[in-house]
Amino acid sequence: MAENSGADPAVEGKSEENAATGGTIIMVTVKTPKDKEEIAISEDASVSQFKEEISKRFKAKQDQLVLIFAGKILKDGDTLGQHGIKDGLTVHLVIKTAQNSGLSPNSSNAGTANPGSAANLGTSQGSGPSPAPSQPANLFTGFGDLSSLANLGMGSSNFMELQQQMQRQLMSNPEMLSQIMENPLVQNMMSNPDLMRQMIMANPQMQQLMERNPEISHMLNNPELMRQTMELARNPAMMQEMMRNQDRALSNLESIPGGYNALRRMYTDIQEPMFSAAREQFGNNPFSALGGNADSSGAQPSRTENREPLPNPWGPPDASSTGTGTTTTSTTTSTTPSVSNPLGIGSSSLGNGVFNSPGMQSLMQQISENPQLMQNMLSAPYMRITVTPENPPPPSSGLGSTPAAGTNPTQQQLMQQMLQMFAGGNASTQTPEVRFQQQLEQLSAMGFINREANLQALIATGGDINAAIERLLGSQPS
Amino acid sequence: MAASSGVKVPRNFRLLEELEEGQKGVGDGTVSWGLEDDEDMTLTRWTGMIIGPARTNYENRIYSLKVECGPKYPELPPTVRFVTKISMNGINNSNGMVDARSIPILTKWQNSYSIKVVLQELRRLMMSKENMKLPQPPEGQTYSN
Repeated sequence: MAENSGADPAVEGKSEENAATGGTIIMVTVKTPKDKEEIAISEDASVSQFKEEISKRFKAKQDQLVLIFAGKILKDGDTLGQHGIKDGLTVHLVIKTAQNSGLSPNSSNAGTANPGSAANLGTSQGSGPSPAPSQPANLFTGFGDLSSLANLGMGSSNFMELQQQMQRQLMSNPEMLSQIMENPLVQNMMSNPDLMRQMIMANPQMQQLMERNPEISHMLNNPELMRQTMELARNPAMMQEMMRNQDRALSNLESIPGGYNALRRMYTDIQEPMFSAAREQFGNNPFSALGGNADSSGAQPSRTENREPLPNPWGPPDASSTGTGTTTTSTTTSTTPSVSNPLGIGSSSLGNGVFNSPGMQSLMQQISENPQLMQNMLSAPYMRITVTPENPPPPSSGLGSTPAAGTNPTQQQLMQQMLQMFAGGNASTQTPEVRFQQQLEQLSAMGFINREANLQALIATGGDINAAIERLLGSQPS
Repeated sequence: MAASSGVKVPRNFRLLEELEEGQKGVGDGTVSWGLEDDEDMTLTRWTGMIIGPARTNYENRIYSLKVECGPKYPELPPTVRFVTKISMNGINNSNGMVDARSIPILTKWQNSYSIKVVLQELRRLMMSKENMKLPQPPEGQTYSN
């Protein structure tokens, strides 16, 4: 059956090696999960020759190709005949791309679609205080620590993505967490309910959520609640205690007939959308962590009383339990939103924003030592750039849902506030008008046209819109 | 007990058919299977391969398996064992044996199922919420036994 290959050189103009090797030409189908190609190859060619052909056709490097036939991986040294590859049969191909295997699977948030900047960010944070600047637009080359700030600010064109990256970093390192908590700047920030509210509201998912569900915005606007939540957040021990109590109470509720439904309603109406929103921002749905072990049926909590012991608050965070490693870690470091802490603002999530990278921390230390440096930094022109970010490049990273966060006015305001804090250590150096700008707008939209009065009311109630409205109504009988 | 189609296909015919399908690459190209040893006249030992699904921790990895079709196949399900180390519910961590009680189609096996179906089901399970984010051992490790 073996024909003389000299008889048909015209058949395969493409493959050069054919004429050299004897044997029939066979057509083999090469299939990737996305593609399918027919390749002509000599029957007794070796696997590496076959790979050569394939690399040409699929435009990939030979060492990226992995060939599988009948459940076996074809090694370069083998021949096609050894594996029984004949005319008309199919070989499977996997093209190994180095980038893909490194991506973390937090693909639920929209921010991971940009592996380039993720890698940048990862390396800049990982190498600590003096990373090699990798961005051509990096203006901080001379500054050492500040260059990590540049990477932070400009390496990723999207603030949200940035936050998510940091969140992930933070969650994987609980020590960083305690370091951050101790930092007075962070504590300062946390004692400012306005700032907190702004940060939360800045998340567009949150905004949507609030529109859909006014109860939530009510919660947010209540400064008392915010303050309490932040107190909790600042004090992790107290928080754990509080949560335990809450969760105990809740789980008891479960066993009451009808109580379970109430719980469930509460969960689905309020908390679930909130988590999904919070998840985008803070990087993890703590509930999925809780139910992660047996959650194959999705959002269906078990119908029997929950007999599982609550997580041990005094135990070390067991980050290395088999199988559920990642989920347990996230349970201990992120906080379970419970009724008293509706947004799940944990100490971990508060470290969000630009505060949690080793570069940033040493930066902050430097700054507190040298206020002059801070002044300089602020007045420097490049800081303007970070503060008033120009239009980020069109979201090629598939961040469709988080629109250009840079041009979001709330974001800008947020940034400005944070910077003010850097400079003056106190956000209240801003005029109340600026602080309450958003509330003022809302009030005027509702029909309260007297801006002065609105402002007074807002100041008096510390930003609580509903209370301010009542005040206004009390003073203006209409 | 007769198969639902009324005809009981002899084991070897079935397996030969599966062999051919494996060589022709029937399916979407994410699983592959074939005889472990081409001279194996009993068609008992098979090797399989699963390409890890995207957007999971198994992404871009190729998992090698051994499938053993006993004499009573296809009336009885085959035994399946992972050769490449994997972390997944239902797979024994130390030797890679697939626990038949945790894989639905193995517990509710029907004789119309095949090796292809088993491999595809395992791949589908890799994409389930409980498995997709499990931390995986470094690539290239295999179970030694």
